[in-house]
Amino acid sequence: MHRRGHGIGAINKKTLAQAKYKDKGTEIAADQLSQMAKQMEAFKGYLEDFASKHKDQIKKDPEFRVAFQEMCSTIGVDPLASSKGFWAEMLGVGDFYYELGVQVIEVCIATSHRNGGLIDIEELRSRLLASRGKKSQDISVDDLLRAIKKLKVLGNGFTVLPIGTTYLVQSIPGELSMDHTSVLQQAESNGFITKTELMSQLKWEDERASRALNFMVKEGLAWVDDQGKERQFWFPSFFPYLKSANNS
Amino acid sequence: MILKQSKPPDNQIQPNSDTRKKQLEAWCSLILNYHKHKKSYSIDVTEILNSQLCHNKEIDRKLSLDGLYTVLDELCRTGHLEWKDPKTKKQCLVMWRSPEEWGNLIYSWILSKSMTNTVCTFYELTNGEDSEGTEFHGLEKWLLLRAIKTLETQQKAEIMMFDDSEGVKFF
Repeated sequence: MHRRGHGIGAINKKTLAQAKYKDKGTEIAADQLSQMAKQMEAFKGYLEDFASKHKDQIKKDPEFRVAFQEMCSTIGVDPLASSKGFWAEMLGVGDFYYELGVQVIEVCIATSHRNGGLIDIEELRSRLLASRGKKSQDISVDDLLRAIKKLKVLGNGFTVLPIGTTYLVQSIPGELSMDHTSVLQQAESNGFITKTELMSQLKWEDERASRALNFMVKEGLAWVDDQGKERQFWFPSFFPYLKSANNS
Repeated sequence: MILKQSKPPDNQIQPNSDTRKKQLEAWCSLILNYHKHKKSYSIDVTEILNSQLCHNKEIDRKLSLDGLYTVLDELCRTGHLEWKDPKTKKQCLVMWRSPEEWGNLIYSWILSKSMTNTVCTFYELTNGEDSEGTEFHGLEKWLLLRAIKTLETQQKAEIMMFDDSEGVKFF
């Protein structure tokens, strides 16, 4: 009996078939890729259309802007990357954030004599809104964080410190260490802190607490008050907060 | 309203020199505004120390005597304040507006009333019916005299002495 599929011919046939499958496979993959590329192209086109159509809304509405930013970042487009890029031209968003950045610097410098270069982000926002006038677009905390992030290229002069539920914007050159940030976090609720509180809350030794607090006095971030039971260290950057808390 | 915003550390002179500078600025303008508001031209150290200005009962904080002197000395330096007796430093004169500024204010009022080339007594100027409602109504005599002297140097006024009172002629 002649059994089929066992000769040299059969092996050749098999390899040929495999090669053909492979060819077909790459063909399909390439097809899909070009389809995908087409879809992406179309999507980008729609996004562009969308952006130009809703330009005003994107510029005016902070929530809308956040959503748009997120969408852009998931498909790998950074509308802020360059002020010359398509997005900036289309929306002017690049300029928007740079402008905001400059205004942030202005406010921080103008208030630094009082707060030593630390400002609560809500206070910053309300001051910005006041100085920009009523007619200009509303700005959100997210916008501010983005604008401040853009200031990083100018060196580490501007940093955002997350403190509890809010943020503090630090506009003094030089960095606060983890210890100093912890002190701020502890002082947030009352606006002040004493060394004993600090030692018991953070389990710090006397030396460590003293050093952190004295640094903050030296940098003009903290004011001292000796008329209580123990020396209190006050942080003017928390004052607008306390005021509103007392009034309500 | 300014006082309400006061925080405990405001009542203590700060050790950090930069912070202290800002603090003194704030205190100086507070004291000047306070006296402007009250139209008061003198400060008694003991009195002010116990007033609401230096003693904030709400937050139980006081500006100490030393602290007050630091602030007052700063005001002296900027020319807003003069000790009646620099040795005892008990009372002082406060000028929340400089004599030149008072002079200009008075002179422009005189112009607006076309009272140049006429003679007014000091009393008329600061307590007369005509000047009621002006800012210099009730101005103390020592300060009025200084204000008019600045006008004299600009040859806009001349002080005249009568038998029982003093007057001034404006040009």
